[in-house]
Amino acid sequence: MSDLSNLLPILWGGFCTTLAIFGLTLLFSIPLGLLIAVLKMSKWRVVRYPVSFYISVMRGTPLLLQIVAIYFGSYYLSEYAGVDFSFDRFPAVIVAFSINYAAYFAEIFRGGIQSIPKGQYEAAYMLGMTRTQTFFRIILPQVVKRVVPASANEVITLVKDTSLAQVIAVTELFALAKKQQAAYASIYPLFVAGVFYYVANLLLSVLFAYVERKLNYYK
Amino acid sequence: MENMNESAPILKVEHVKKSFGDLHVLKDISFDLKAGEVLSIIGPSGSGKSTLLRCLTQLETVDGGFVQVDGKDMVVPTLRQAQGPLGSGPAVKYAPAKTLREIRLSTGLVFQNFNLFPHLTVLQNICLAPVRVLGDERKDARAMGRFLLKRMGLEGKENSYPCELSGGQQQRVSIARALAMNPKILFFDEPTSALDPELTGEVLKIIKKLAEDKMTMVIVTHEMAFARDVADKVIFMDGGVIVEQGTPDHVFRESGNERLAQFLSRFSKA
Ligand SMILES: Nc1ncnc2c1ncn2[C@@H]1O[C@H](COP(=O)(O)OP(=O)(O)O)[C@@H](O)[C@H]1O
Ligand SMILES: [Mg+2]
Repeated sequence: MSDLSNLLPILWGGFCTTLAIFGLTLLFSIPLGLLIAVLKMSKWRVVRYPVSFYISVMRGTPLLLQIVAIYFGSYYLSEYAGVDFSFDRFPAVIVAFSINYAAYFAEIFRGGIQSIPKGQYEAAYMLGMTRTQTFFRIILPQVVKRVVPASANEVITLVKDTSLAQVIAVTELFALAKKQQAAYASIYPLFVAGVFYYVANLLLSVLFAYVERKLNYYK
Repeated sequence: MENMNESAPILKVEHVKKSFGDLHVLKDISFDLKAGEVLSIIGPSGSGKSTLLRCLTQLETVDGGFVQVDGKDMVVPTLRQAQGPLGSGPAVKYAPAKTLREIRLSTGLVFQNFNLFPHLTVLQNICLAPVRVLGDERKDARAMGRFLLKRMGLEGKENSYPCELSGGQQQRVSIARALAMNPKILFFDEPTSALDPELTGEVLKIIKKLAEDKMTMVIVTHEMAFARDVADKVIFMDGGVIVEQGTPDHVFRESGNERLAQFLSRFSKA
């Protein structure tokens, strides 16, 4: 058991990195996803088509590949193309996760927005509300309620997906647990890391159940 | 009511046309309405009644004709229409956006299926637009909202959500929501068609009360007795044209029109 007192601080450090990836990804991908959802419903094809392409690429290729591509892509660009810019490991992970999850969120949000009956827009229009007022005061609050269950799935998947960051040697929870596994020659560190993931997701499930209940004040 | 010139119509509709693709839904609609008058529109389903209301409330655009609301031209024919098919370009010209918005604010619409905002309470449904669109003080808007709810017989329902109300109550809230904007003309598109039969009475009673208070209203309805009792003027539409129009007595008793007689006979049997 003295193992645990050595192990916990190390894994806790990794878990903090995991949490940072998780939090920053949500922070960027949710607004970005909303924007992309709105753009995908644009009446202009020049907007709609590139956005559709972006979404299909993000959903049609592995996140693992995207992380590597963004990190090394920017590295090679700066090395060989003379572009004076490249991502550090951690920012590369945040960018890759954010644009990937934004694509998934966008599809959820678009489904939610399109499920709002036309009559809601018409009622708002007849009351003289502007398009912005209609979107933020009438449509969006109803969309939130409709997208919470599907978004909860994405969020829980994200907790687990953070372990992909190790591919470019970001020392998140799983990467550290694996290193400890080698050092201890035991599966025990991996088990502890699993408990971290599991408890985090348990808490999230409870939170989402609470939010869904809170949003149940109307039908 | 505040119209100086008593005889000037508050709503003028001339030769309005509307097509969806090849489907000519409104063929040549003309009528007018004075302030304080109530117009009932009856006719078989598919005859274009909803489309007419949607054109007059700017939810659809017309393809031809002239509409004037409260002295403001909403849409006017262009030269092309006068010149016939040889001209080019659109057949109508709409007023600038600012005028259209003014007109929209002077017209209200009560929908068949209410279209209340489900995430807002009854009072929030009523106060949202007065506060956000008209810039009323929240306190004043709430006071007016409560007053309107009382008029609708919905005292004590301020903080209910629409899903907690019966259909008849929801429709009365939607009438209150429209009235809160103080419209000059209120349009109703089959306000009782989505209601259980036992709930239609409470809504019709409210509309009758508004008629007594000299609210200018255009009401599409399948309630024939109501259409006759409440209206100063009745229009019978069929196939995108006005087949008959006049006083309730004229339309319901004196008209010898065959299509109208056939239409009305369906209701007397029931
Ligand atoms: N947005 C639309 N697109 C195509 N056809 C429509 C549309 N709205 C109405 N119509 C058609 O126009 C006709 C008249 O419809 P409507 O105005 O709803 O009649 P009513 O209200 O008298 O029942 C119907 O044949 C209907 O199918
Ligand atoms: Mg209709």
